[in-house]
Amino acid sequence: MKNLNLILAGVFFTVAAPFGGLLLSGHAQLGALGRAPAEEGGPLFPAKEPGLAIQGRQVYLELGCVACHTQQVRPAGQGKDIAQGWGVRPSVARDYVLQPQVALGNRRVGPDLANYGARAKSDAEIAAHLSAPAAGSAMPAYAFLFSPAKDGSLQPNERGTALIAYLKSLRQDYSSPEAKLKQ
Amino acid sequence: MSQENQNSRPQGQGRPQGRPADAGSPRVSRVDASVASPVKFFFASALLWLLVSSVLAVITAVKLHLPGFLNGCEHITFGRLDAVQRNVFFYGWASNALIGLNLWLLAALGRFEFRNGWIATLGGLIWNLALTAGVVTVLLDSQNAFELLELPRGLAPAFFVAFLLAALWPAVAFARRPTSQVFVSQWYILGASFVLPVVYLLAQLMVLWCPTNGVLQALVHSWFLQNFLLLWLGASALAAVYYFLPKELGTTLNGYYLTTVGFWTLFLFAGWTGPATLLGSPLPLWIQSSGVVAAVMLLIPLTITTINFFGTLSRDSGWSRAWNNTTLRFVAFGVVAYTLAIALQIVFSARSLNAVVRFTAFTAGQQQLLTYAFVSMVIFGAAYFILPRLTGAFWPSAKLVHLHFWSCALAVVGSVAGSLFFGWTQGAALAAGKPFAETVAPQSALLGTVCAVLFLIGHAAFAINAFGMLTSCSSSTDEGRHA
Repeated sequence: MKNLNLILAGVFFTVAAPFGGLLLSGHAQLGALGRAPAEEGGPLFPAKEPGLAIQGRQVYLELGCVACHTQQVRPAGQGKDIAQGWGVRPSVARDYVLQPQVALGNRRVGPDLANYGARAKSDAEIAAHLSAPAAGSAMPAYAFLFSPAKDGSLQPNERGTALIAYLKSLRQDYSSPEAKLKQ
Repeated sequence: MSQENQNSRPQGQGRPQGRPADAGSPRVSRVDASVASPVKFFFASALLWLLVSSVLAVITAVKLHLPGFLNGCEHITFGRLDAVQRNVFFYGWASNALIGLNLWLLAALGRFEFRNGWIATLGGLIWNLALTAGVVTVLLDSQNAFELLELPRGLAPAFFVAFLLAALWPAVAFARRPTSQVFVSQWYILGASFVLPVVYLLAQLMVLWCPTNGVLQALVHSWFLQNFLLLWLGASALAAVYYFLPKELGTTLNGYYLTTVGFWTLFLFAGWTGPATLLGSPLPLWIQSSGVVAAVMLLIPLTITTINFFGTLSRDSGWSRAWNNTTLRFVAFGVVAYTLAIALQIVFSARSLNAVVRFTAFTAGQQQLLTYAFVSMVIFGAAYFILPRLTGAFWPSAKLVHLHFWSCALAVVGSVAGSLFFGWTQGAALAAGKPFAETVAPQSALLGTVCAVLFLIGHAAFAINAFGMLTSCSSSTDEGRHA
């Protein structure tokens, strides 16, 4: 048919244009982004996750936590994320360079978790929230992440411990070349 | 390009609900018979998935305001069921139905007797088996963090091959037939059938198989998602509107000469709109701004479809005639929803407005407006037209047709309006500095549950009617079926 080639060529162009203009250009800019110190000679950020947190990330993905929680702090002027206490600075691309699967999320039924590790006071506090969320919270209790201890209290099992370690590892409270913290 | 309906006559007024336009004994033409088997397979599969999706939607809606509901087993947590419900709806219901609908439209428009229909059916079988495996994996094992890419990456080759067999191959086979006539619906179908496998393959590679660095994954995902929503679901449903609207009204399309521009501008700009859904993210500003510009440029195809559809419906009492015609009632509903959905997408790509509604239920409402109020309602309308022609039977119950329309229409209006309203009020409260926990309105989840139940009622009515027709067709004789 005489129009087939025209249609397919045109549609190919319409797919290729944003692929090149956005994705490949974005890759050229950010593809090689890695860890960096905020100041010369300083420690590299973001810090590497401990092994237990890497296992916990898998639990986070399995349970679909991303359905209700985001992991991105928007800059001032684009929402009030910082005023909500969810972060001390906006998220930047470098914060995510170590993550094998970036769980930015697109809906907040619950609060943002990008900097949750910095505001959670202790493992016990996180465990208490997972096993028995506060009244009025839309979050269910994750009883299967806990086992009863000898004294009758609930203690996180292997997966629960990993998830808590992962949640504690979520921190964006360090300076990076693109987002320096105010002293 | 030429108009689909140049030689058609006014049809569809005052006949019983659910009856096909060419009233009298329903007959299956040779063209329809050539695609009957695969199209019926795709519609039957879509219906089953729609019922599964509806039940899951009720459960997830209840879980949102009663978190303890069905919370004893880790395999049915909200996070897992939400992902399964979404994938079942988009890959099971919408995609199955659109593959079948596109196949029928290609055959009907081109008077094209489709050979080797078993290849498309085989593709459909692989597609549905892959989806089933994906659903089981998400429930029992793991999922990915990206909307509509949650299913395990190992199933991607199966989905890809299945789509090539079921949709792309028939489209190319059709396009290679010896004729010079090309209708606008066919352009949309060819475009949609080409775009989906390409962007799906690239997104799988760049997000799951060889992940790009950090937030670039989110960029690739947004590109995939916008292509999926606008250029697969949207373009396929637009193809159906361009066919059914003039066909059932028995008139020519208003401003037909503009359709070429509408087609190319939609395909040109829609693929760039992904970053407009990521405003405020850690992506570079120039990428986000490109998305905003592209979203604003959607004004061009939106203006053209508005001239085409509303102009056509406004002539010769088109709206009242559409109201009295089962197919057109659903299609006209979809047309209004499409216009609103794209208009909202344009308006809320403005940074100041997007900052208010981002991450709230508002964006879910916008998506539902496009994917249910537009795409699904058009599919329903098309099914009321196509299935009698494929089965040679009438819809068994006019009451169930009414129940289907009113349940789904009320549910989607309530659900979308509720999401937009509660999303906006929550965003405004957050912008005013209220603590997050105080901005969550419990009425929102309650309304969602009521609407989910209404959806289930409507879909059950539709399924009972459709399976009743398919059953009566298979149990009756073939006499008079073939023209």
